[in-house]
Amino acid sequence: MKLVIDQNLCKGCNLCTMVCPYNIFQEGSELNKKGVVVPELDRPERCTNCRLASLYQRRLCGVCQLICPDQAIKWIEEEPYESMKVVIEY
Amino acid sequence: MKSVEDWYRHDRMPHIFCTGCGNGTVINCTLEAVMQMGWDIDNTIFISGIGCSSRSPGYITTDSLHTTHGRALAFATGVKLAKPEFDVVVFTGDGDLSAIGGNHFIHACRRNINMTVICMNNMIYGMTGGQGSPCTPAGAISTTTPYGATEPVFDLARLAEASGANYSARWTAYHVKELTKAIKVGMEIPGFSFIEAMTQCPTSYGRRNKLRTTTSMLEYMRDNAVLLNKAKRMEAEGRELSPGRFTVGEFVKRFRPALGVVKDEE
Repeated sequence: MKLVIDQNLCKGCNLCTMVCPYNIFQEGSELNKKGVVVPELDRPERCTNCRLASLYQRRLCGVCQLICPDQAIKWIEEEPYESMKVVIEY
Repeated sequence: MKSVEDWYRHDRMPHIFCTGCGNGTVINCTLEAVMQMGWDIDNTIFISGIGCSSRSPGYITTDSLHTTHGRALAFATGVKLAKPEFDVVVFTGDGDLSAIGGNHFIHACRRNINMTVICMNNMIYGMTGGQGSPCTPAGAISTTTPYGATEPVFDLARLAEASGANYSARWTAYHVKELTKAIKVGMEIPGFSFIEAMTQCPTSYGRRNKLRTTTSMLEYMRDNAVLLNKAKRMEAEGRELSPGRFTVGEFVKRFRPALGVVKDEE
């Protein structure tokens, strides 16, 4: 699972930066195309729900999603790794 | 498997609420509780009056009624009479519920009609430009109280308890998990359940009261909310709750006979 902020929905209120226990959300610095300073994700792979939701079969923590007034935070399924062919050149 | 995403009307998003408005948080918590209850989209009705908070049902895909100012509970009573098997949730604001619909509120509590009322108390009339409401705390600046509000505030959760509601709780937009749990308990209990959610209004309230950012308003709620058990303990010790602080928690949970509960035919 992967944590994403929807750039079209976020209004930049920075509530997620306040509640995340891992401080994954950091205040952003650049305007996006809608003119909103969207928070930036700092190493989102640390998120409990990203790591363990599939193991427990339920949503863990999820405070950022609940508190987001604009419904902009969600988790999306990642595509499984594609097997890569590695060619070693001598 | 259904998810909360199915309950939103994605064609209406993003919603019109200001940046950092707590109403979106309360919608999240309500829909999360509805998901946990396993309610059906076709058998649930969201009803609202007038105000910022009352725009919420417009973003939910179920049937909804956007009614006149303060009369959401009267319309909800009608829906419950016509369709007793439907699950009714009322969204309302503090001005809508306590000022203009105050009489409907106490009588809906007295009749103990089987519905869930969620009051988003932002301590002000947000939509009309920040006039003082019955829930504006003492000393707060609003457009109608430019020298600070002097009137005592309405304690809505206690009013519901005294009027006869089966369930009454108060939480804030900061306590999302507790709020979700309280809404779920309120939906489970047959009879009138009232959940007061204190929400932030940075635009109309915070801007005039030195709480300009959303996070500072939420910190205000986090720091000033006192658990009901602690308030009772302080009262027993003879200590007063300092002004500006408010109690949160479950005020009453009882099982008085309710109006509009469908009994299974035996």
